[in-house]
Parts: sequence; C-alpha cells; structure tokens
Amino acid sequence: MKIPPIEIVDLVKDYGHFRAVDHVSFKMEPGEVLGLLGPNGAGKTTIISTMVTLEEPTEGAVRIFGLDVTKEPERTKTLTGYVPQELIHHGFFDVEEIMEFHSGYFGRLKNRERTDWLLHRLGLWEHRKKKVKQLSGGMKRRLLIAKALVHEPKLLLLDEPTAGVDIELRESLWEFVEELRDQGMSILLTTHYIEEAENLCDRIGILQRGRLLVIGPTRELVKELTEREIVVRLREDFPKEIVSPFLLKYDRVEAVFRVPSAMGVGELLSEVGLDLGMIGDLTVREGSLEEAMKRVLKERRPNV
Amino acid sequence: MRTAEYESEIEKVRALAQFNRFAAFYALYRREMKRFMKVIFQTIVTPFINSTLYLLIFGLSLGASIRLENGISYLSFLIPGLVMMGVLNNAYQNSSSSVTSGKFSGDLEDLKVVPLSSTMIIWALAAGGLTRGLIVGLITYGVGEAFLYFSEGTFTSIAHPFWLLYFLVVGGLAFAKLGIAIAFWAKSFEQVSAVGSFVLVPLIYLGGVFFSIKGLHPFWQKVSEFNPVLYFINGVRYGFLGVTDVEVLTAAAISLGALAVFYVLGLYALKYGSYSRW
Repeated sequence: MKIPPIEIVDLVKDYGHFRAVDHVSFKMEPGEVLGLLGPNGAGKTTIISTMVTLEEPTEGAVRIFGLDVTKEPERTKTLTGYVPQELIHHGFFDVEEIMEFHSGYFGRLKNRERTDWLLHRLGLWEHRKKKVKQLSGGMKRRLLIAKALVHEPKLLLLDEPTAGVDIELRESLWEFVEELRDQGMSILLTTHYIEEAENLCDRIGILQRGRLLVIGPTRELVKELTEREIVVRLREDFPKEIVSPFLLKYDRVEAVFRVPSAMGVGELLSEVGLDLGMIGDLTVREGSLEEAMKRVLKERRPNV
Repeated sequence: MRTAEYESEIEKVRALAQFNRFAAFYALYRREMKRFMKVIFQTIVTPFINSTLYLLIFGLSLGASIRLENGISYLSFLIPGLVMMGVLNNAYQNSSSSVTSGKFSGDLEDLKVVPLSSTMIIWALAAGGLTRGLIVGLITYGVGEAFLYFSEGTFTSIAHPFWLLYFLVVGGLAFAKLGIAIAFWAKSFEQVSAVGSFVLVPLIYLGGVFFSIKGLHPFWQKVSEFNPVLYFINGVRYGFLGVTDVEVLTAAAISLGALAVFYVLGLYALKYGSYSRW
C-alpha cells in the first residue's frame, strides 16, 4: 500500500481551556518505524488516542490508510493495533480467554493459530491459564502487545511499550518490533528511551507542549542538530598555540574540538595545521539523538 | 491531490478492512455470559435464595391471609411478579456491573479500540443481561412452582405464552440497557448502586410485584401509572395468569417505548459517557 498509514492534518485537541495538541500535522511512510518523542505532557498519548477514537479531535483530521477515523472507525480500527501505555486488568479472565475475546471483537472467532503463535512468541504460553493479576509487569506489557496483534493489523501503535520493563525484556521487545517491521508493518511508537529510539526508528518527531517541533529521518536530525566532538591526543607538546573557532579545550597534550556534524576529521586537522605524525590518538564522538532532542526542546520551545 | 490512482488505493484499503460484525457481536455476548458464569454464586445462587425467601415469607406465611378478587391464590399471584423482578434486577445488574468492573480494571477501553460499534456493544451487553435475567427468572419460576405444588397441589398454567415471552424479553432488554446507560455515565460504583437502591428498587417494589394496584387509593393508582415497571410486571402476570391491572396492549406499547427510551439513553451514554478507568 502506498497510502500513508497515518496522515494527521492540523490536529487540535482541547480539554476545556487546556490545549493538549496544537495544530499538529505529519504523515507516516508505509513500512517505517516512526518515533514520537517529547517530555511528559507533550501530547504524544493524546495524538495516539485520536487514532483509535479514544479521543475525538477538536479540529483537524486523522486518517489511517487514507480513511478518516471519525467517519469510518470500523475500518480504521480493523487496520490498527493499539498498545496502551497503562497496564490493565481483566477481572476474572485468564490470558487465553482474553486473547480469544479480543480476537473475537475483530470478528475472528477461530484464530487459535495466530493467538497461540503470539503467546509463544511473546513468552506467555506457559502463563496462558493465569489471570492478569498473577502476571508480572513485563508479562502484562507483553499481553497488551499480543492483544494488539491478534487481528494482524497493518499499523501498530505502541504507546510507551517499554515503560517499567527491565533491560533484557526491552531488548527483546525492540527485536520483535524490528521483526514486525520486516514483515511490512508500519509502526508508530512513543518512548522515553531516546537511545533505543535512535537505533530503532527510521524517523523521529519531537513534541513539546502539544506542538510538533521537528520531524525527520533520525540520522539527518542528529546530523543537523548536533555537533561531533573530536579529541586529539598529541605525541608531544604542541609547538604552537592552536587557534580555531572549533576548539573547546586545550591543555598542551589533548585538544578537544567540537565541529558541525558535516565536518570531516581531515578538514579539521588541515585547518588547525596538524599532520598525522604529531598525533598519538584520535577519537570522534558523534552527536546523539538525545543531544539533538535537548537542543530542539531548548531552542524551539513554543511560547505558551 | 486526490487522483484516480489514490482513490483506487483507498478502495483497496476499504476492501481489506472488512470484519465480521456478527462474529464480533457474538464474541462480546459470549464474554458477557462467561463473566456471569464465573461468579455464579453471586449471579445465580443469590437470586435463588432471595426468591425462596420471598415465597416463604410473602407467599406462604402472609399469603394465606390475603384474598384476591378474582379467586387466584396469593402465591399464584406473587410468582409472576417475582419472576419479572428477578429478570429486571438481574438484567440491570449484569450489564451495569459489566461496565463498571470494566472501568475498574481498565479493560472497558478495549471496546473502544476494536471495531465494535456502539449499537453492537449495547445489544451484546443487553443480550448478556437478558440471558442472566431469564436464567434467574426461570429459577424463580421453578422454585415458585415447587412452593405452589406443595401448598396447593397445582402448577401455574401459562395463559398467553407469546405475551409472556414478549414482556420478559422487552423488559429484560430495557433494564439491561438502562444499566448500560447508567454505568457509562457513572463516576463510581457508588453512583450505580445509588440509582439501583433509590430509583429501581422502589419502582420495582411499587410496580405491583406484591400487590394489585386496584387495591390502592385512586390517587396512588394514578401515580403508579407513571411507573414503567408496572407495565412490565402486569404484562408478565397477564402472560402467566391472564389477569392484569392494565390493558395488555397499553402495557405492550409502554414497555416497548421504555425499551426505546433506554436504548437511546444507552447510545447517548456510550457516545458522551466515559470508557476511562476509575
């Protein structure tokens, strides 16, 4: 399908006088993993909630594969899997029953093969006869994911799927997300683990106070918004003073430069007048998404 | 921007995004059934004990000294009222507690993110409530008949099976839908039980379960006519015994009207009420 899995046009969501989402527009590419990042209260969850009709837009449109969620909700929900941020219980029912009901709500009464596969894949098979309250936090989280995938959606919405999850499980969840992407699923996620988002997401959108400050391919954002740090350790004392606008620190043995991400090491060395013979060691530290994000949040902070 | 190619892609999406409505409805109905079967003591056994007590106290002990105009024994008169009381109470309880417990555990939101429409949700929950109501009604009837046989040596014959079924089904669905409406609006368990104790229980008790309104002062007779439960109960009594305080067609029309009103209330509650967790 060439149609954007998600297309948000000028979305506004007000709660009384509080504007939770403020004229947000973006499109998702088919088959990509898109990460929405931002501080708590930035509007990430509200945006996702409008996609599954948990919230109604105050203004603007939300389209899933070209269909408006308020006009054709049955169809858009059939195409979407949603993993909420908050863990939920299910009263008297066990894992297997919950899966069976959830599958049924999508009109799939005989879906054993799929539900069994999901329970196996997400490590819940041995726990299938347990009630939700008997599961650990990580298992509850995995159950939410299993439920969301029961009807083979084309679009998966993950609202902080790794909140409160230990590192091992987090890694395995991200691995699973990659596997789903490889199968052609489009995935939108929110997370506070910036480093993991950087590794996983093809594109990143950064939100603050309901506004989308920036959106773009992860690598490009990092490149555009961060600097690289080049540390040069010298064989012996420098013969002369170093004069460079990029110099950050200099103590006659080690010089630290901060250069734009686009600038190469060779370019810097020739500009400063160093040749390789003088250099004992050289390290380059690339900018990270976290730095990019901090910068965006600081410099493009909307005035409210 | 909206090219022919784009439109044809959209049509492909629509074709892909099909789901089986009937299966989805059935899944939710099945869940409702399983839910009350898991707490069978509370849902089935408790009403059984309640109706036994009513029959024992009102039917046998007090009933012996009550004489009705049309020659029907008080016990026979009481059974249809108790049956309908069981149906109405349990239909209301089932759907309202399903929604409130869903709010408490957080899984009510599941219904919002799956393709079930409000209409389907209401009908499935109401069908679940009706089923529990009818099971309780049937048990009450069975217990009542046992009492009747031991004290009078007879059974109740069903005078008008169609009307009996009509009032049981319409009444059960109506109260189940009222339960849905109230539970979706409610912000706490307390609100739901307050409506139950301060509104429904008085309406049911004053709706002629235990007495004929013909014995009341004309003023209270008039007041009782505004109680929709009166028509449900008299409808069922007509179905069983062929006697009623109100015209059966009037009762049928008002019952159906109540169902329609509660259905609209339910739809309204699903649209503007809350699915969120408490």
